Amino acid sequence: MAYASVIAGSAVIRGNVRGDTSLEVQGRVEGDIGVSGDVSIAPDAVVLGSVSGARVIVGGSVEGDVTGSDAVLVEDSGRVVGDLSAPRIGVSEGAHIQGNVRTSGTPSSSSSRVSAHRAPEARPAAVPAERPAPRPVAVAPVALAAVPSPPKSVPPKKAPPPPVIPAPRPGVRARKKLARR
Amino acid sequence: MAGSVVGAGLIIEGEFTSEEPVLVDGTVKGTLTTSEAVSIGADGVVEADVQALSVSIAGQLTGNVSANSRVDIQAGGRLVGDVKANRLTIADGASFRGNVDMDV
Repeated sequence: MAYASVIAGSAVIRGNVRGDTSLEVQGRVEGDIGVSGDVSIAPDAVVLGSVSGARVIVGGSVEGDVTGSDAVLVEDSGRVVGDLSAPRIGVSEGAHIQGNVRTSGTPSSSSSRVSAHRAPEARPAAVPAERPAPRPVAVAPVALAAVPSPPKSVPPKKAPPPPVIPAPRPGVRARKKLARR
Repeated sequence: MAGSVVGAGLIIEGEFTSEEPVLVDGTVKGTLTTSEAVSIGADGVVEADVQALSVSIAGQLTGNVSANSRVDIQAGGRLVGDVKANRLTIADGASFRGNVDMDV
């Protein structure tokens, strides 16, 4: 996509940037950016200030709040120290974010591309986060359930007590070992 | 075109420095410094002191201009401020008010 305005890689702006246009920042802006069009913060770009636009794509570094009236997308090379706010927010795996994230409002324009991007990006990030947590929690109930079940199920099927005694022991040991781990 | 483009509708207020060409079709207020060319389009408005390799003015520039190479005021262009450059052209139909210093 072509942006109407470009702040080139060697450019440094100390001040504010605003207006009714789309903007791509490849350089450095020490000030706030507020435009009505789309904004792209390129991978090597640095913004020390807030950024607001329609659809804001962050591939570089932003130290300030990022607000999108349509969407905010943080790419894997992106880094944001500040709050994210938009109806649609996408964060790629590898992105660095320090701040609050809030999806609110309704997108102002067509965002089918955004939702298509967001879905695959959000899922891989969410799944690994969920997996480690349930594992230790799930182990304890399984061990506890296994302990009472052998005495109940075993005696009706098999009369001899030997299976009953060993059954709780491995269960108890397994539980302790797993608990230690 | 490589370099920065201040598109129509964009307003930059502050200190703008670069080492690449700068095209202004929007508005720049403050200072504008680059080691390359500055081109102010017909709808561009610059209210800033400009330091550059060369400066081409087809829009409006209010401020002092210092160019290492040249300053060109195009027809329809308007400059209010002093010019310091080795070469200066003022096209027929351009507006200019200020001093000229060619002894760089």
